[in-house]
Amino acid sequence: MELTSRRHTVADTDGAMEYCYTNGWSDGFPVVPPTEERIVGMLAAAGLEPSYQCAFIENRQISVTAEKVAINAVMAGCKAEYFPVVVAAVEAIGDPLYGYHGPATSTGGSAVFMCVNGPIAKEIGMNSGDNLFGPGWRANSTIGRAVRLVMRNTIGTLPGELDRSSLGHGGKFSFCIAENEEDSPWPPFHTTRGFRKDQNAVTVFAALAPHQYSNQLSSTPDGILKTACAQMKISAGSGRHPQYAMVFAGEHQVTIKKNGWTREQVQEYVFEHAQIPVAELKRNFIIAGDITPDDERTMKPIVAKPQDLLVFAAGGKAGVQSAYIPGWGSTAGSQSVTREIRKA
Amino acid sequence: MPIQIFDPTTEATARKINYAPRPKSLKGLRVGLVDNTKHNSDQLLLRIADILEREHGAKAHIIRKKKSSGVAPHAEIVDEYKAACDVVVAGVGD
Repeated sequence: MELTSRRHTVADTDGAMEYCYTNGWSDGFPVVPPTEERIVGMLAAAGLEPSYQCAFIENRQISVTAEKVAINAVMAGCKAEYFPVVVAAVEAIGDPLYGYHGPATSTGGSAVFMCVNGPIAKEIGMNSGDNLFGPGWRANSTIGRAVRLVMRNTIGTLPGELDRSSLGHGGKFSFCIAENEEDSPWPPFHTTRGFRKDQNAVTVFAALAPHQYSNQLSSTPDGILKTACAQMKISAGSGRHPQYAMVFAGEHQVTIKKNGWTREQVQEYVFEHAQIPVAELKRNFIIAGDITPDDERTMKPIVAKPQDLLVFAAGGKAGVQSAYIPGWGSTAGSQSVTREIRKA
Repeated sequence: MPIQIFDPTTEATARKINYAPRPKSLKGLRVGLVDNTKHNSDQLLLRIADILEREHGAKAHIIRKKKSSGVAPHAEIVDEYKAACDVVVAGVGD
């Protein structure tokens, strides 16, 4: 296995970390020095040749090879066994449906939300529970970080240059979860995308920050969803029709499961109830135009169709919190993509 | 002990890019405008078309809208530009 990337000789491990900072190859945290042994270990875990093209970014005319992905995965602190997940996520953001250029460069400031499904999530120790979007699990932290480093270093999505996010958010360090398939009220998310339960897959979604809502007063699914809808009606995607992720945590999962609501019922309910008059959107300068009498009666849903609500089960078992995550832009610019994770 | 690390960036490779030939003058030419979907993009482009026609002799213009600011124009409008335009004005910004 021959690596073709440029090589740099540095004094020692400390020198390597500083060298990466000096060259602008870090997200701000120290990186693991990408040595040959570590890079080859990554590639072997996915059974990939260094020259394998994981993605081609049309607007940048950049071929993202497995070698470059492996280098960045080492730097991010990934174990070799995580590498197939990183590769699948990079393949997914290279899918034209994801539309890399828009969400990566936009002032809108999205991150790559990733949800891993299938047996691999447990095998590599991914978190699907407590502190879901927070720190503490190596796989969650470093897989997402690896994808961001690929975007930064290999594709050139540099803050202030080709990443013009006005604000960005913490998910741009890492925004990677697994679904809690055991306790979920629904079949695993990836089975809604044509995969079998025993297959491994990652779903990527160009996403703004998660918005947490709390409902401890209702013991019915529609009661919980009423709170979600009230907050989603006017949120980042109002008037734009992006996709939205909805992540249901412990106690809400239990309530929904107990009442037997399917994922499709949740989608239908939210589609019907997270609607707002066009006039209200115009009055609040969310969409353009003069208000007509019809606008007071014309309701605009938060998404174009129920299936644009991506419904996941994950988060701590205790508590009455769940979250919705607005997608970037509109579905014309970016949509979520699910890719199979292939191990060697 | 010195160690060797590998470069995570993309090494630039030389490649030839073909540009469409630039006209010497806009006189009598038809202008295509790419509405990038940003608010007021159409207003700005129509003003540009007006200047190109009034001050530079362009003959006519058409304006078509992309599906999203972040994506390339779709095939259908590219075909229209090809059939009905000699030059195209495109750009995106906030």
